Amino acid sequence: MKTVNIIPLFVIIPLTAAFLIPLLGRLVKRFSEFAVFLSCAMLLYLSLHARILLNSLTDKILVYKVGGWVPPFGIAMVLDGLSSFMLVTVNLVTFCVAVYSLKYMNKYTDKPKFFTLFSLMLCGMNGVIITGDLFNLFVFLEIASIASYALVAFGTEAEELEASFKYAIMGSVASSFIFIGIAFLYGFTSTLNMADMARVLSFKQNAYLVHFVGVLFLMGFGLKAALVPFHAWLPDAHPSAPASISAMLSGILIKTLGIYALARVFFNIIGSTQNYLSVLMFLGALSMLVGVILALSQWDLKRLLAYHSISQIGYVVLGIGLGTPLGILGGLFHLFNHSVFKSLLFLNSGSIDYALDTRDLRETGGLAKVMPITAKTNLIASMSIAGIPPFNGFFSKLLIIFACVQKGYFGYASCAIIASILTLASFTKVQKFLFSGELKDKFKEVKEAPWSMVISTVCLAIVCLLGGLLLLTSLQSFMGDAADVLLKGTAYAKDVIEAALR
Amino acid sequence: MSGALFSYFKLDHLSGFVTLAMFIFCVLTLVYSFGFMRRKEHLAQYYTYILLTGIVSIATVLANHLIVLLALWGFLGLTLYLLIGLGDKDSGVVAKKTFIIVGGSDALMLLGIGMLYYLTGTWVMDKIRVPLDSALAIAAYLCIAVASFAKAGAMPFHSWVPDCAESAPVTVVAFLPASLDKLLGVYLLARISLNLFVMNEGMNIFLMTIGAFTIIAAVMMALIQHNFKRLLGYHAVSQVGYMILGIGTGNPVGIAGGLFHMLNHAVYKSCLFFTGGNVEYRTHTDELDRLGGLAKSMPFTYIACLVASLSISGVPPFNGFASKWMIYQGLITQLTTANYLLRLTAVFCLAAAMFGSGLTLASFMKLLHAIFLGQQQNRYPEKHIDEVPATMWLPCIVLAVICVIFGVFALQIPLKMFILPAITGVTFTGIWYAGYSTLLIVLALGLGAIVFMLKSLRPNIRQDASFVGGEPIDLSKGRVTGIEFYNTIKEFGVLKFIYKKAEKGFFDIYEQGKTLVFAVGRFFQYLHNGVLPTYLVWTLLGMMGLFWVLMR
Repeated sequence: MKTVNIIPLFVIIPLTAAFLIPLLGRLVKRFSEFAVFLSCAMLLYLSLHARILLNSLTDKILVYKVGGWVPPFGIAMVLDGLSSFMLVTVNLVTFCVAVYSLKYMNKYTDKPKFFTLFSLMLCGMNGVIITGDLFNLFVFLEIASIASYALVAFGTEAEELEASFKYAIMGSVASSFIFIGIAFLYGFTSTLNMADMARVLSFKQNAYLVHFVGVLFLMGFGLKAALVPFHAWLPDAHPSAPASISAMLSGILIKTLGIYALARVFFNIIGSTQNYLSVLMFLGALSMLVGVILALSQWDLKRLLAYHSISQIGYVVLGIGLGTPLGILGGLFHLFNHSVFKSLLFLNSGSIDYALDTRDLRETGGLAKVMPITAKTNLIASMSIAGIPPFNGFFSKLLIIFACVQKGYFGYASCAIIASILTLASFTKVQKFLFSGELKDKFKEVKEAPWSMVISTVCLAIVCLLGGLLLLTSLQSFMGDAADVLLKGTAYAKDVIEAALR
Repeated sequence: MSGALFSYFKLDHLSGFVTLAMFIFCVLTLVYSFGFMRRKEHLAQYYTYILLTGIVSIATVLANHLIVLLALWGFLGLTLYLLIGLGDKDSGVVAKKTFIIVGGSDALMLLGIGMLYYLTGTWVMDKIRVPLDSALAIAAYLCIAVASFAKAGAMPFHSWVPDCAESAPVTVVAFLPASLDKLLGVYLLARISLNLFVMNEGMNIFLMTIGAFTIIAAVMMALIQHNFKRLLGYHAVSQVGYMILGIGTGNPVGIAGGLFHMLNHAVYKSCLFFTGGNVEYRTHTDELDRLGGLAKSMPFTYIACLVASLSISGVPPFNGFASKWMIYQGLITQLTTANYLLRLTAVFCLAAAMFGSGLTLASFMKLLHAIFLGQQQNRYPEKHIDEVPATMWLPCIVLAVICVIFGVFALQIPLKMFILPAITGVTFTGIWYAGYSTLLIVLALGLGAIVFMLKSLRPNIRQDASFVGGEPIDLSKGRVTGIEFYNTIKEFGVLKFIYKKAEKGFFDIYEQGKTLVFAVGRFFQYLHNGVLPTYLVWTLLGMMGLFWVLMR
């Protein structure tokens, strides 16, 4: 197989799974589980393979021309440092979540429908990451979004439907603005290929329209990323979904549809001016503080975690918004770390919900005795998110804060510190109310979660523990290449066009 | 490869003696734990964490690279959290509080180290020397100092220490807040004050004020405690004040005194906690009013506790006196400086330190009386109280012997071998011949005994109502428990008000921070009313804001 041909597989595999599961899921017993497990395993392998493949290339970029049409005439799919970084992140988390869901979804009825939507959402995310065409990006973004609206409502209780409704309305508003923005840009540049658009934009002097579109994109992608003040859907939507979907939503969906798209559009297409960066940093710092302050007073475990997602996204945006090599590296590293530990936290909340049928922190306590492994993995994840060494969250926060200080933004650095202290406070609260103290009598019979659920959480916990090693020089290309793509800015256009003509 | 690793660490005189002390405490704690922790749960976890703490602490002290220091330092917060969590059923709350204070201060240290790098452009600690002349340098110094204060338990970051002393296993308290954390915190303060930054007079005044305030406020709290572990916890805070005061004086003898006090404090405080552990091990209680009269049944414990109590109170010839005397000398030296404000502060601090020392003695009289002297009234769960096993009393006796040796041969052994090489230019203003004085003290005690024995020669001795600890005794109860000592202080006008507030947590930075954050949180929660149109309005307002900012 030609190396470049692996690129479309990232979309084809989940799409095939999503197609086959509803057809055969009811006829063949356990088909849906098997199909999802297989497709996710293949995708994880392929994403790692793609990453290693990129290392062997000098210009670190691969372009697949759909239907053989050379861009800008056809749709291009681009695998560069940033996409491969995102692919690894997304597919790693998805694989763990899929393994977890195999057993966890017994709580709900109609597994085939669930796994169909799951695969569709994955297909949408991989598509957003891999595509080199702006309209195509919008299509995939909608696939992922609509699948996620349905998944949030999957429990079909009143609360879930309400949350899903809110999420769908706000998500649609965001999608519409993104769509209008794309239309304007298309009208302005007469092209939809991202690389070509960047090339055309660099020749145009009239920037007024571009700024207008910039605001539309900031709002649209900002809403998908749940930046304050566009975040209000998230604390409702993320807790309402089944735990494995919460893990996907908080762990990777908001990052792929929000942060990745935002970074790609602003850094590589429009070009990041200081104005945009300042706005990003401000929104990041605001999200960081508002999210964590709201999280502190929550008693519903999943709602608490959802607010922390807002706060942690703030760190990522702050890091990327700094625009310096260290800041972007820190931001991306935090993105990866947050994917891992936040999905782990949500999976653990699922295990607790699965065992106790409650997620109210005031009712739990003393679970360390009956659920020792969950207690350990949750400790690791909590320490990671709170930024305690030697876990991965420490290193990414360190990079972001040092990057702020390096550029002289002491105010933002202090915000990050305050948010970090409050995060620690919030997660010591979680640990205390879940695992220490006396075990209630009604929970005496509780057992540790089933092994397939435990395995996936343990895997994620190991990644949390060893995540700091990604900063070693020998492994640094994983994030370093991704940061390079953003740092290159609009020179991305030249690279893609050259690679396409190869 | 190993050479590259070693370049992150450096051994000098200061880190050398701290490392040695840490190693000794680690060994003693392990020996003690073999006895104390027997038949307890989670032993594998306990020993893992203790060993990890010991190793990482030593590595932290040796670190010569700011990021290595930061990572190891932060990790110690985690092990502290996990170790406290192994305690009784309330330990979850205490572990949480401790970790928020300690971990939060570590986050500030991160900021401080970032600023330090911004100022100097290097991570290597022995290449850094920053004068405190810009706001940034001062902020960096304060951020790192906060971490050291929180670790050592100085005010206003002290409130975790007494709570932790009460709830965590005694070995953990003796190991961490009493000895290792003190060594770490004061080591860091000394390192930044002596090497990384060039101190100025303003910062010296600031440190001295914090030190003096910590001494007095914590010892006042200690006076009124009824739980001996909590009482010891407040003294652990109070003693940090002396160390900070010593380092704050900024002259060699004061700094040497501060470091010496750090070493001494670790010795006698872990001895006190170990003896407390012995008492708890046999009697299963830590409330002073349920104890009493144990001196006969637990002689080794009593002797060790007596020596350590006298040491912490600064009674010659024990080690606490030697180091406090050096700190006083540092303060007296300050009296000759030209800066009027500095002189004034030194006078106040000297008074506070001496007064604090007196109150410490008073407080330990109460402790000794309540646990070991007097009659025992309540039945203990075990009918016959024996001395604890040798693995438990031996560490106490070893530490007590160190107290005596460091006091009597202060100059010859600890100062010459450990402290003076680390601090150059120590000159003593007053002369203290420890050995000679000890002889005099022994003679005086002998003389006193003779006078006491001669009392039968005089038949008509004046009789008066008996009182103890400043309080008249109600002899009808037939027993003096000791907890009613110093109640007058508690009921005294302004102090009464302050004590009430203090017991409600008014001076606890943790409680205050909690109130503040929740107040802000309530405001945000009020905004999140769950109504979709409201949320849409925010979104649109946000977008208009963006238009305004980006398209002006």
